[in-house]
Amino acid sequence: MKSDRLFGVVIIFGALAYAAGALQIQTSFMSDPVGSKTFPLILAGVAALCGLVMILKPDTDPDWPNARTFGSLIVSVAVMIAYAYTIKPLGFMIPTAVCAAILSYQISPRPVPAVLTGIGLSIGLFLVFKYALGLGLQPFPKSWF
Amino acid sequence: MKTKLRALALGATLSLVGSATLAAECIAPANPGGGWDFTCRQIGKILHDIGQVDNPVQVTNMAGGGGGLAFSHVVNERSDDSDLIVAASQATATRLAQNAYAGMTADQVRFVGAIGADPGVIVVAADSPFQTLGDMVDAVKADPGSVAFAGGSAAGGFDHLKVLMVLKDAGFTDITKVKYIGVDGGADAITQTIGGFTQGMTGDMSEIVGFLQSGEVRALAVLTEERVPGFEDVPTAKEQGFDVVAVNWRGLYVPKDISDEDFETWGAKLQAVADSDEWKEAMAANGLAPFTKVGGDFQSWVDGVIADTVELSKEIGVLQ
Amino acid sequence: MELLSNLALGFGVALSPFTLFLAVVGCFLGTIIGALPGLGPSNGVAILIPLAFSLGLDATSALVLMTSVYYGAMYGGRISSILLNIPGDEPALMTTLDGYPMAKAGRAGDALVLSGFASFFGALFATIGLMLLAPVLSRIAYQFGPAEYFALYLLAFSTLGGIASNNQAKAALASCIGLGIAMIGLDNQTGMPRLTGGNLHLMDGIDFLVAIVGLFAVAEVFIFIESHGKGSSIGVKLEKVTLPVRDLVRGIGTMIRCSTIGFIAGVLPGAGASLGSFLAYVGEKKWRGGDRSGFGKGDPQGVIAPEAGNNSAAGGALVPMLTLGVPGSGTTAVLLALLMTLNITPGPTLFTDRPEVVWGLIASLLIANFVLLAMNVPLVKIFVKILTVPPWVLLPGVMMVSFVGIFSLTGSYFDLLLMIVFGIIGWLFRKLDIPTVPIILGILLGKHMEDALRRAMILSDGDWTYLFSSGISIGLWAFAILGFVAPFFLRHIIKKPQAITD
Repeated sequence: MKSDRLFGVVIIFGALAYAAGALQIQTSFMSDPVGSKTFPLILAGVAALCGLVMILKPDTDPDWPNARTFGSLIVSVAVMIAYAYTIKPLGFMIPTAVCAAILSYQISPRPVPAVLTGIGLSIGLFLVFKYALGLGLQPFPKSWF
Repeated sequence: MKTKLRALALGATLSLVGSATLAAECIAPANPGGGWDFTCRQIGKILHDIGQVDNPVQVTNMAGGGGGLAFSHVVNERSDDSDLIVAASQATATRLAQNAYAGMTADQVRFVGAIGADPGVIVVAADSPFQTLGDMVDAVKADPGSVAFAGGSAAGGFDHLKVLMVLKDAGFTDITKVKYIGVDGGADAITQTIGGFTQGMTGDMSEIVGFLQSGEVRALAVLTEERVPGFEDVPTAKEQGFDVVAVNWRGLYVPKDISDEDFETWGAKLQAVADSDEWKEAMAANGLAPFTKVGGDFQSWVDGVIADTVELSKEIGVLQ
Repeated sequence: MELLSNLALGFGVALSPFTLFLAVVGCFLGTIIGALPGLGPSNGVAILIPLAFSLGLDATSALVLMTSVYYGAMYGGRISSILLNIPGDEPALMTTLDGYPMAKAGRAGDALVLSGFASFFGALFATIGLMLLAPVLSRIAYQFGPAEYFALYLLAFSTLGGIASNNQAKAALASCIGLGIAMIGLDNQTGMPRLTGGNLHLMDGIDFLVAIVGLFAVAEVFIFIESHGKGSSIGVKLEKVTLPVRDLVRGIGTMIRCSTIGFIAGVLPGAGASLGSFLAYVGEKKWRGGDRSGFGKGDPQGVIAPEAGNNSAAGGALVPMLTLGVPGSGTTAVLLALLMTLNITPGPTLFTDRPEVVWGLIASLLIANFVLLAMNVPLVKIFVKILTVPPWVLLPGVMMVSFVGIFSLTGSYFDLLLMIVFGIIGWLFRKLDIPTVPIILGILLGKHMEDALRRAMILSDGDWTYLFSSGISIGLWAFAILGFVAPFFLRHIIKKPQAITD
C-alpha cells in the first residue's frame, strides 16, 4: 500500500518537473499546429493521472529486501559504476576479474568460488570477445607496455 | 562541454587502440550503415585498392549531433592532422548553413571535393492529375493548402528546401504556406504519396528507383543540369523552365590547418578515386550519379550552396 | 506463384553456407539462453545485439542470427520449466503447470520430447502464417496515413497495457515514461533540442539499446543478488529419452487449436507470446472439460498446449513488426530495435524495398525450426547439462557481456552509467509490479507516434477530427479503447497467473 502511494507521489512530482521542462522548449518560427510542446505535455498529464490512481488505488506492498540485502545491492551498483569508469584506463582483464568476483560474492557469499568465477570470466570472456567477436579490447593498462 | 566531448571522442576510438599510427583515418560522423559510413568505407577501400595509400584506411564511426560531434572533434582536437579525412554530404552543408552545429561554421574546415551525387527528384503517384512540374507549381500557386509534400528530411531540411527552391524560382513567394511533412526516409514519403495522404514526394533518385520501375509513381522532374544516365525519360526541372539544381553530393572535408600541399594531395587522391572503375561500380550499385568537383572549385561551390541555404532558411524561419 | 518465387529468393539467401551456419549457431545459443533461468528471449536477444553488431554482419545475416536466437530461446524456455519448475522465460510459465508434475512422475523425457514437438508445430504454423499474411498486410499498409498510424500506436500501447498487464494505471505509466524518454533529443520537425538540459550526450536522444540492456539484463542481475540465487538448482533427473508416440498422436488436435490461438494472440500488436501460451492453455483446458481434465496434474496435453501456443505467438508477433513496424511483444520490440540499428525501417515498404531481407528471414525461420527440432529432441540432454551452471557464475557473466556490448557500441561512459540507472529502474519497477516492456516500446515508438500526430495535424491544418476521419482509424481507436477497458471486466472471469511481462 505504502510503496505504491509513495511512488505515486514521486511520479506526480516527476511529471510536473517534466511538464515544466517541456514548457521551456525553444520553438522555432516555423512551427506545425501541434508544436514541440504539446505531446510531452500530454504525456506528463497522463503520467500524473496514473500517479494519482496509484495513490488512490494502491496494490499490496512487495516484499522489500532486508537491510543486508539492500547493502549488497548498493555495493553491486557501486561496483558497476566503478567498472564503467575503469574498463578503459585499466584494460579489460583486471576490472572484469575484480567486479565479477564481487558480484559473484553478492549472489552467493563464498569467497573461493567467487574469486575463481572472477578470474575465469575475465579470461574466458576476453578470449571470446577478442578472438570470436574480434573486438579490439585492451587486456591491460596501456602504461604497462 | 569540451571535456565531455573529448571523453566521448576517446571512447569512440576505443576500438582502434594502438593501431592508427601510420594509416590514414576516415571519420564517418554516423553509425555504420548510413551514407557517410558508405562514403568512408568505399573511398577508403578504393584508395587502398588503387594504391593511393599504403595502408588500409581506418574507418572510425563517430555518431552524434547529426555530424556535429565529429565536426567539433576535428575543429577542436585534430585541426592540423593531415592523415584525417571526414565524410561529408549536402546534409553537412545544410546543417552548417542552419547553424545546427552549435555555432561552428563551414570555414573551420576545408572541403576537398565531391565525387558523386544523389540527384534530387520530385515525384507524384501514378494516378496524379499533375503531368508536369508546371502543373504542380500552378496548383500550389492557386491554393497552397491543396498540395502537401512528403520528404525524408525534417521540415527545413534538404528535401523540404528542394520544393521551396522550385516554387521560389517560379515566383511563388509565400513559401511558409507550403505544406510539408517530414517522414522517416524516402520510402515512407513515397508510401504516403501513393496512399494519397500527400500529393507530392520530394527526395533523392536512389530512393525512388524501385517505385519508378514498378510504375507506382511518376517522376515530374529531376533537379540536375542534365538528364541522369539510366533515367533519360525523366525531364530536368531546368528544361521545364525552373532553374534549380539540387543534388545530395557525397564528398570529404579535412582539417583546416593542414598545409596547402597536403590539401592538394588529398584532392589528387580523391580525383583518382573518382576516375577509377571501382568507384563507378560503387556509384551504379548505390544509385549515385557522376558529380565530380574537387579542390578550390568545390570549396567555392559549397560556399554558394551554403549562402543560398541560409537565405532560404531565413525566409521560412528555420534560421532567425 | 509470387509466393513461390519469393520463397525461392528467400532460400537463395538463407541456404548460403554462412547464413546456415549463423542459423545453427543462433539456434544453439538461443536454446541455451532460453533454458538458463533468468535469461529469456527479451534479455537474451538484448545483450547479443551490440555484439552481433560489432561482428560487422550485413543486415540479412544479423537478422537471421538474432531471429534464430529468438526462436531458440522460445524452445529453450521449456527445459527449465519442466525440470526445475522455474520458467526460463515468461512465456514458459504455463509449461511448468503440467511439465513439472510430469517430470516428478518420472516422465521428464516424455515431457521434453512432447513439448519439443509442440514447439516445432507451433513455430512452423506461425512461420507459414507469417508467409501468407504478411504480404497481404503490407499491401493494406498503403491505406495507413499519419492519423491511422497514430491510432495504431495507441492500440499497441493499450493492448499491452490492458490485456497483458495486471494494473492498467501502472502499464500506462510505463508507456508514458518510455514515450517521455523518447522525446529527449532533437525534435524531428523543427530540429531544436528538447529536454536535454544542454547535455550534448542527450542531443541524439537515449539509445534504446542502452535502455533495453539496462532494463532487461542489468535488472536481472539485481534480482538475483536480491534472492542470492536461491532455489535455482534443485531439479528432477532426466533418465531416458524416448518418443511417446501415443501422446503425440493424441496431441495433434491440441497443437492445431493452440497454434491457431497463439498465432492470433501474437499478431495483435502489444499482446505477445505470454498471452499466447496463457490463452492456449486456458482454452485447451476448457475444451478438455475444465477442472475435470487432468490439466495441472501432469497431463501431457497440458505441456503441448502452452508450448504450441507460445511458439506460434512468437512467430505471429513478427507479422505486425515487419509489416507495420509495430512490435507485438517485448522480444519483437527488441528485434525492432535491432532492425533500426541496422538501418532497416520495418513497414509496408520493407517488402518491396528489401525483399531479400524479408524472405531470407522467413526462409531461415523455416530452416531454424528444423534445426531446433533436431537439437531439442534427440540432443536435449546437452541442454539439460547447461542448467547446472550456477547463477553466481552466470549473472556476473551476463553483466560483463552487457557492459562490453554497450561500450563497444557507443564507446561512452555516459551510456554505461545510463545503463546502470535503467538497471536500477528495472529492478524497482519489477518490485512494484510495473511492467518494463511498455517503456521499451515507448522509447522505440515515441518519436514515431508524436510525428504521426504532428503530420496529421499539418495535413489537416490543425483539425483534430482528422484523427477519426477514416474507417481504419475509427476501428483502431475502438479496439484501442476496448483493449484497455475490457480487462477491467474480464479480470474477474479469467484469473491470471502472476506477472506476465513479455
